[in-house]
Amino acid sequence: MKSLERAIGMATALLATVGITWTSSVPMSSSPAVALLRLAWTARPERIEDCRPQREEELAKLPAHMRQAVVCTGTTAAYRLEVRRDGAVIADQIVRGGGLRHDRPLYVFRDISLPPGDAAITVRFVRVDAVSEPTASGTAVPADSPRDHRPAAMNDDRRRREDEERIRRQEEAIPSSLSLDRRFHFMAREVILVTYDAERRELVGVERER
Amino acid sequence: MLRALERLALRLLTAIDAVGNRLYGSRFNPLYQSGTIVVVLYLTIVATGLWLILFYRVAAPWESVASLTANLWIGNWVRGLHRYASDLAVVATVVHAFRMFAQGRSWGARTLAWSSGGILLVLLCLCGWTGYVLVWDTFGQSLAREGARILDALPILSEPTSRAFTGERPVPGVFFFVTLFAHIGVPLGMGVVFWLHIKRLERPLLLPPRALMWTTIGLLTGVALVFPLPIAPKADAFVLPAAVPADLFFAFWMPMVRGLDAGLALTCLVAAVAALLIVPVATARRGAARPAPSTVDEDICTGCLQCSLDCPYGAIEMIERTSRRSNLVARVDPALCVSCGICAGSCAPMGVGPPGRTGRDQIAHVQEFLAAPVRRAGEVVAVCCDRGAGAYGPALSAEGAAIYAVDCAGNLHTSVIEMLLRGGSSGVLVLACPPRDCWNREGPRWLVERIYHEREAELQARVDRDRVCVVHATAAEREPALAALRTFAVGLSSLSVPTVDRTADIHAVCEPAGAGGRS
Repeated sequence: MKSLERAIGMATALLATVGITWTSSVPMSSSPAVALLRLAWTARPERIEDCRPQREEELAKLPAHMRQAVVCTGTTAAYRLEVRRDGAVIADQIVRGGGLRHDRPLYVFRDISLPPGDAAITVRFVRVDAVSEPTASGTAVPADSPRDHRPAAMNDDRRRREDEERIRRQEEAIPSSLSLDRRFHFMAREVILVTYDAERRELVGVERER
Repeated sequence: MLRALERLALRLLTAIDAVGNRLYGSRFNPLYQSGTIVVVLYLTIVATGLWLILFYRVAAPWESVASLTANLWIGNWVRGLHRYASDLAVVATVVHAFRMFAQGRSWGARTLAWSSGGILLVLLCLCGWTGYVLVWDTFGQSLAREGARILDALPILSEPTSRAFTGERPVPGVFFFVTLFAHIGVPLGMGVVFWLHIKRLERPLLLPPRALMWTTIGLLTGVALVFPLPIAPKADAFVLPAAVPADLFFAFWMPMVRGLDAGLALTCLVAAVAALLIVPVATARRGAARPAPSTVDEDICTGCLQCSLDCPYGAIEMIERTSRRSNLVARVDPALCVSCGICAGSCAPMGVGPPGRTGRDQIAHVQEFLAAPVRRAGEVVAVCCDRGAGAYGPALSAEGAAIYAVDCAGNLHTSVIEMLLRGGSSGVLVLACPPRDCWNREGPRWLVERIYHEREAELQARVDRDRVCVVHATAAEREPALAALRTFAVGLSSLSVPTVDRTADIHAVCEPAGAGGRS
């Protein structure tokens, strides 16, 4: 009787071990047979700023390494993402910069399931907030400004670097309006990616290499 | 509510333990060895992992694993063993936690063990997660994407981690490097947490019996050879696989959270971990339900060290004292004491133990027991552990045994056995829990040592050992216990009629030879 029980015990242990191998690789269905339009990009949003030149006496109170000719306060712009398939809106959302203060780069990541087949896809990414013009708001102080308008507490090299930095930030920001109009052939279980090409400063569609 | 859940869990555990005992015997019952099996599996995982890492390339993760998979003899079976050992480690850890919960061993002095065990389970899951991501097949990609989606719910990262897997750009090699680093670093961290896990245990058993250990490793190796581990297709951000071969031991949560918003999914996961970690608070006994820790009667303590040596939780230390009785005296740390009462059984002069369960309390109790009018001369007394054979006391009574209930067999002072025999019992059958299932870890072990191997507070030589029998039986093993009682009774029938001597003088009977009297 004991040996029979031990044999059953060994058989049970063996079955349990085989059960582990089976449970270790269970086919988990991932998705129905649809295609996916993936919108994914990251970019620096435009700044909405209120800038003003600092006065000499303000600069004088600051340590040398903290002196800036122009100080700005503000936030980043919000954008509307709209996606149409054959003219019908299939996604519409407002996108803001990341982080609790929305001052980090914005990030778009959205998967939209679509039936396989041909479809005309339109993606619009347009700034919602108005951004003050640089010259009107003073975000950039013209390099040829009269010498007496510029703080004497700062040397020319420092001013030049400050201007360059401001211009670089403006150029890095995503354009206020982007769009993509393209016809895609969606195959079942394939993903077509729409992303932002920072070098070309436009939205591009990326398909799987076949 | 939680107490009801504990009771339900205990009933279930008792039933499956009984099946395990029947199939494997209590010594090799894997359910009793769940903790030590995890240690064996951890060592197996580390050993196989060290081998696998020699072949892994961060620059070509899937390709390197695929080439390993193609090599049946030096590669794939090791990979299979690594994986199946990890899976079994999850099962064994859950069984171990379930056992501790069901037996109410999750609070008080055991809080550290429970909490560190919960952390170990989380770390084990994290190890599994990183391990699967390292392969970078479709399953690894699914885990990575789902994990990143949930992680991105935290608004603290400068750039969402999901971005790495969208297909905008190839997954950076640094991602696999960091994952590999975590896959190696987390198990090292587990070693530290494991040290905390067993820190409050004296003489922790780290490994199961050899036969069980090698059978476990052998079975896993066998299935790794017989069922070669396949590798899923390479991850591709532009393809939606129809089905992903998922390891349910590590990805059981994925189907549950997939449809949820990332924030809600994160909240659920955090809540699950929090629920695990607050079990010690939720299950803690309070007020009258909380068993009192042991205390020491310093006038009786001879400073012999035995209670300190026997305590399974290191709750008793010997400190110096200045009285003439001895140089040392026992001191119980209430924060470490689980009130198991084993010290009461280990103290020959009966100076230590939980209130109401010291040796002297037991002597008083046995005197009441013997004085009861229902006692019959020559009856067999069955000493039943409350958590074990106590469950079928009436059935033992029906077989003619007198039931003497104890909180734990390890708590039983050998003088009680002697007094029961001197009180007219023909024999004493001690029904203790199986050694690996003792709620107080070492109760049956010390009991047997005291009865048969002259461990301090030993059963006196004058006691006829033929009239004493120790049997291990769980609460579900009624029939084997009844059979043991019948066999014992038959053996006793061939012995002479016992004599009755109820002149129980605690000091004369119980003080070890040479010990000073009570001052």
